[in-house]
Amino acid sequence: MNPIYLFFHKTGSPPWFYQFSGKLIPWLWAGFAILCAIGLYQGLLIAPADYQQGESVRIMYVHVPAAWMSMMIYGLMAIWGFIALVWRIRIMEVLIISSAPVGAAFTIIALITGSLWGRPTWGTYWVWDARLTSELVLLFLYFGVIALYNAYDEPRKAARAASLMAIVGAINLPIIHFSVEWWNTLHQGSSIGTSGNQIDTSMLWPLLWMAIAFKFYYGANLLSRARVRLLKQDHRKRWVQDLLAEENS
Amino acid sequence: MSHTPFILASYLISTVVLLWAGLSPVINKRSLLRQLKNRQARMDKAQ
Amino acid sequence: MSRQSAGTAFTALLRRDFLLAYRRRAELLQPLVFLLVVVTLFPLGVGPSPGLLASIAPGVIWIAALLATVLSLDSLFRSDFEDGTLEQMVLSGQSLALIALARTVAHWLVAGLPIVLLSPLLAMWMNLPDEGLLILIESLAIGTPVLSLIGAIGGALTVSLKRGGQLLSLLVFPLYVPLLILATSAVSSAVAGLPYTGQLGLMIAGLIASMTLAPFATAAALKLSLS
Repeated sequence: MNPIYLFFHKTGSPPWFYQFSGKLIPWLWAGFAILCAIGLYQGLLIAPADYQQGESVRIMYVHVPAAWMSMMIYGLMAIWGFIALVWRIRIMEVLIISSAPVGAAFTIIALITGSLWGRPTWGTYWVWDARLTSELVLLFLYFGVIALYNAYDEPRKAARAASLMAIVGAINLPIIHFSVEWWNTLHQGSSIGTSGNQIDTSMLWPLLWMAIAFKFYYGANLLSRARVRLLKQDHRKRWVQDLLAEENS
Repeated sequence: MSHTPFILASYLISTVVLLWAGLSPVINKRSLLRQLKNRQARMDKAQ
Repeated sequence: MSRQSAGTAFTALLRRDFLLAYRRRAELLQPLVFLLVVVTLFPLGVGPSPGLLASIAPGVIWIAALLATVLSLDSLFRSDFEDGTLEQMVLSGQSLALIALARTVAHWLVAGLPIVLLSPLLAMWMNLPDEGLLILIESLAIGTPVLSLIGAIGGALTVSLKRGGQLLSLLVFPLYVPLLILATSAVSSAVAGLPYTGQLGLMIAGLIASMTLAPFATAAALKLSLS
C-alpha cells in the first residue's frame, strides 16, 4: 500500500494521531526556536534601518509574518472545513477548531504591531487603510467561528457549523479586502502602506526566517491543542482510559 | 521621536501573546487530566 | 430559621453571580465583541475621513455602548427565572431591592466596566481628539452603571415574556436618552475646549438617583413578573 496513503489513513485514528503528534511536537518547537533566533538576530542586529522609516521598520519582522499566518491559517481552516464537511473526517474537524485561536492570536499580533509601527512612521496609531481594516474584519471572522463552535453542545455538529462559517468567511475575505481597498481609494488619496517598495535582500532574509519560524509555531501549537481536544472528546474511550492509567503508574 | 519603545513594545506584546497561546493547551491538558483522574477516583470509590 | 444579615446576603449573591458569569464567560464576551464590530462599521459606512469620524466619535461610541449593554441585559434575570431561583429569592425574606442591586452590580462589573476599559481603543478608532479621551472614560464610568441600573428595571419587567428581548430594547432606549445627550455633550464640549462640568454633574446626580431608586423599581418589576 502506498505509504503516504497509509500515513493519512492512520492519522484518522485518534490514539495513533495522539502518539504521533506527541513525538512531533518537540521537534516543531525546536525548529521554531532555532529559526526565530536566526530571524531575530538577522532582523534586529544585522539588517539595516530603513532609509525612510528608520529603526521602526524592524517591527516588520514580526508584523508581516504574523499577518501572513493570520491569513494562511484562515485559508487552511476553510480548505480543511470543506474536506471535513464532505468526507466527515473527525480529525480534520479537530484541527480546524484548534487552529482558530492560533489564527486569532496572529491576527491580534498583526494588528497591534501594525498599530505600533504606524505611530512613529506615519504619526498615527490607527488608520482605516485597506490592510488594517481587512485584518480587523478577519479578527471578527475568527471570533465568529470560535463563538459559533462554543455555542453548540454537540462537538461534531459544532465543528460542522464552524467549518461552514470558515468556508463562507474565506470566500468573502477577498471580496472584503477588495471592497475595503476600493472604499479606501474613494476616500483617501494617499494610501499608507509598504506596497510597491522594493525590499532589500538583507531585510528579506530575516523576514522569511521569521515567516517559516511562525509556521513551526503554528504546527506545534495546533498539534498541542488538537491533542487536548481529542482527550476531552474521547475521555470515555478505552485509549484515553489506558493513557490515564499509564500516567498514574 | 525615538523608535525604540515602539519596537520593544511590538516584540514584547508579540512574545506575550505567543507565550499565552502556546501555554494555554499545556495548562488545559493538565487541568483536564486532573479532572479525569478525580472523576476516576470518585467512580472507583463508589464501587 | 435564622435570617442572614443584608451584607452577607449581598456578598453571597455577588459571589454566585461571578461564579455563574465565569462559567459562561464566552457568552459574556459577545456583547463586547458586538461593541467592537459596531464601532468598526461606522467608518466603513461613512468613510474614514478623520475629521468626520472625530466629530461623530462621542455619539458613535456611546450608541455602541448602549447597544452592547442592551444585548447583555436580556439574560440578566432570565436563567434564574426559568429554573425557579428567582422565586426562591423573592420568598427568602431578604429585601428584594437588595437582591436586585446585587445583580445589577454584578452586571456592571462584567458588562459595563469592560466597556469603560475598551473605550480608549474605540476612541482611537474613531479619531477622538486627545482632549476628549479622559472625559469619554469618565462619562462611561459614570454612565454605564446607570445603564445597568435602569436596564435592570427593563430586564425585570420583560423576564417573563417570550419575546422579552426585543421589548426590552424598546423600553430602555427612551429612558437612556437623557444620559446619551448629557454624555455626548460632555465629551464634545471637552474636545471643543468648552466647560463640561455641568453635564458631568448632572450625570453624577442621575447615578445617585438611580442607585437609590432603581433597585426598588426592579424589585417591584420582579414581583410583578413572578405573580
